[in-house]
Amino acid sequence: MSSMLRTTAAALAALGLLTACSSTGSSTDAGGGAKVTVTYWDNNAGPARTPLFQHLIDEFEKANPNITVKYVGVTSSEVAEKYNTAIASGSTPDVGGVTTALLASLTAQKALAPLDELYAKSPLNGRLAANFLATSKAASGGKGLFQLPSSGNQDVIWYRADKFKAAGLAAPKTWDELFADAARLTDKGANQYGFTIRGGSGAGFQLLSEAYAYSGVAEMFDASGKSTVDDPRNVALIEKIAAQYKATTPEADVSNAYPQMLAQFQANQVMMVHHNLGSTKDVRTALGDKVAGFLLPAGPDGTSVLANPVDGFGLFKNSKHQAEAWKFIEFLDSHASNSYWNENVGQIPANTEAYADEWYAKSGITKEAGDLLNAPGTKLVQPPVHLPQYSKITKTDAEPAFQKVLLGKMSAADFAKGVADALTKAQADYKSKNG
Amino acid sequence: MALADRTTVRPPAAGPPPTGRRGPRLRRALAPYALISPTVLLLAVFLVVPVGSVVHYALQHHVVNEPYDDAFVGLGNFRAMLGDQRFWDSLAFSAKWVVAEVLLQLLLGLALALIVNETFVGRAMARALVFSPWAVSGVLTTSIWMLLYNPATGVFHYLSEIGVGNAGTSVLGNPDTVFGAAVVAELWRGVPFFAILILADLQSVPKELYEAASIDGAGRVRSFLHVTLPHLRDAIVLATLLRSVWEFNNVDLLYTLTNGGPAGATTSLPLYVAQLARKSYDFGYGSALTTAAFVILLFCSVLYLRLSKFGRQR
Repeated sequence: MSSMLRTTAAALAALGLLTACSSTGSSTDAGGGAKVTVTYWDNNAGPARTPLFQHLIDEFEKANPNITVKYVGVTSSEVAEKYNTAIASGSTPDVGGVTTALLASLTAQKALAPLDELYAKSPLNGRLAANFLATSKAASGGKGLFQLPSSGNQDVIWYRADKFKAAGLAAPKTWDELFADAARLTDKGANQYGFTIRGGSGAGFQLLSEAYAYSGVAEMFDASGKSTVDDPRNVALIEKIAAQYKATTPEADVSNAYPQMLAQFQANQVMMVHHNLGSTKDVRTALGDKVAGFLLPAGPDGTSVLANPVDGFGLFKNSKHQAEAWKFIEFLDSHASNSYWNENVGQIPANTEAYADEWYAKSGITKEAGDLLNAPGTKLVQPPVHLPQYSKITKTDAEPAFQKVLLGKMSAADFAKGVADALTKAQADYKSKNG
Repeated sequence: MALADRTTVRPPAAGPPPTGRRGPRLRRALAPYALISPTVLLLAVFLVVPVGSVVHYALQHHVVNEPYDDAFVGLGNFRAMLGDQRFWDSLAFSAKWVVAEVLLQLLLGLALALIVNETFVGRAMARALVFSPWAVSGVLTTSIWMLLYNPATGVFHYLSEIGVGNAGTSVLGNPDTVFGAAVVAELWRGVPFFAILILADLQSVPKELYEAASIDGAGRVRSFLHVTLPHLRDAIVLATLLRSVWEFNNVDLLYTLTNGGPAGATTSLPLYVAQLARKSYDFGYGSALTTAAFVILLFCSVLYLRLSKFGRQR
């Protein structure tokens, strides 16, 4: 009996030790904190991006020999779940990659530290693009700065420049031209389609970007707090997109997400694919000079309305090494690092000093996107990512509903009204709780 | 010493029970509890706590990114469920999925078991081939079938090249064909389970029964109906029950093959719960759905076991 008790006690002690070991994401060395480990979670890890971070981390560690950065790669499809689990278990990293789409959830859970004061005192102050900072603040419900922007990730339509040239076509300037070119380039017998629709995961956000770019509506909610998603001009674009399904797009599009769309594009099956600057490296690596991009065309009234999704970094409140973690974030957003990163991923730098760099001037679509973003006539429409129900409305509810639209089982107007009603209700709920 | 002396268990010495000291008696009384305590502890940690936690959350409004709204709502989530059309649709799909899968897996598994139970050249290889899909993980199974169904590189692409069907046919993107396509993929993985269990039971059927049936003039069909099937009854009941529960709870294949689409055409109840947890972060309502699914499964299982008179001597 006593030996059983001893064994049980030893097992419990071992369990306690394991628990203690796993309760922190950072550690100091045995020398009493001389060397600090900062844990960084990359929110969009992959073979194209991870080596870039590893290079930046090497540079940072050389410049800061007392800080070690532990890199943890998480794929974009899993990152929200990983953060939620980490918050629930108190095991968040020190620094994490955070998109504007993730901000509302993280700030609602009070997981991130406010960065306003740190940024105000930082040498970066005044060097980061003002509209990126404004988007970051708006995405967290205007409660302050919880994400330090690193890149703008504008929507782009990639197209097969070689096929367009062979058909005597130029990049379309309007939506009607786009649809006409898609029809012209479609050859179903050869399994070739002019366009591809995102019907699967991520369809909601992409469709709303297209609808607002076309409609020229620049506010997600009108003065009374009603969502503008069901504005007739937005509905008109949704109808036009749905009409493309199986006419100029593959049948599989109804459930395709980005990886399948990209695979079709790379395999010569589709001639145009709507994604964002974040896929620059993927498409360039796969297709080289055969691919080019254009920004979402303006609608009939010529107004350019863009969503402004921003990638960046968050400092987690639970971090025991806030100073070192902030130092790492500052390093990542410094001119040299931010320029290196964005040059390689093809996104718009948040650090405005990079706009004077040679690569940026020659970057083509990236600079075009940056210029349009900062053009005086451009209007920015901020998707209501500050709403806690945004993910539920645009993913869980809207994605299967949009698939019904594509399959002809629901009208575009009913779909838009359903999304609009849900957003209106969520906004009213948010206002009543947050003023 | 004789062999009998060394191997015979000596009976306990006769005499009055020990009296006096309480220590040894107490230890002896507690020993069984001490011995089962690790099992009880493990069950508590890995079964009671998670199940209790789900029931607890089912009574709460708990959306991860709305922590300020966390509150006890009693049966509110269950009331919401009654008016949730997607709950009823996903439950109906789950029922249809379970019936189709279990029935087809049973029939095909039984047929395969009967075949590989016969003696023929290459039987060992045939058995290995029949059982091999069972060793493949769900996600890998999905990957295999996604490649087969891929409109650009799969079976339908090659069929269209020889003039059968159209180029670009997507069986997973068409609500009329997606159910059949998913059923076939899951059948490939599930049939070996039945084949293994039924084959094991087939090998325990006494040869004398077949000989007696043969003497009574029974052919192969009558022997199968009156000897084989009655012998397999308990194995079939157990296998169909287990498989029904597993198929009802199936998430991996449907999640990765169709993600519940298109337009919710293949959203089972557990997949709906997974979507609520992963995309909506709604753990309160998701837990209520899980609790409802647990109760439905429990009720169906008890009913099935009672109706089938499982384990009762005939």
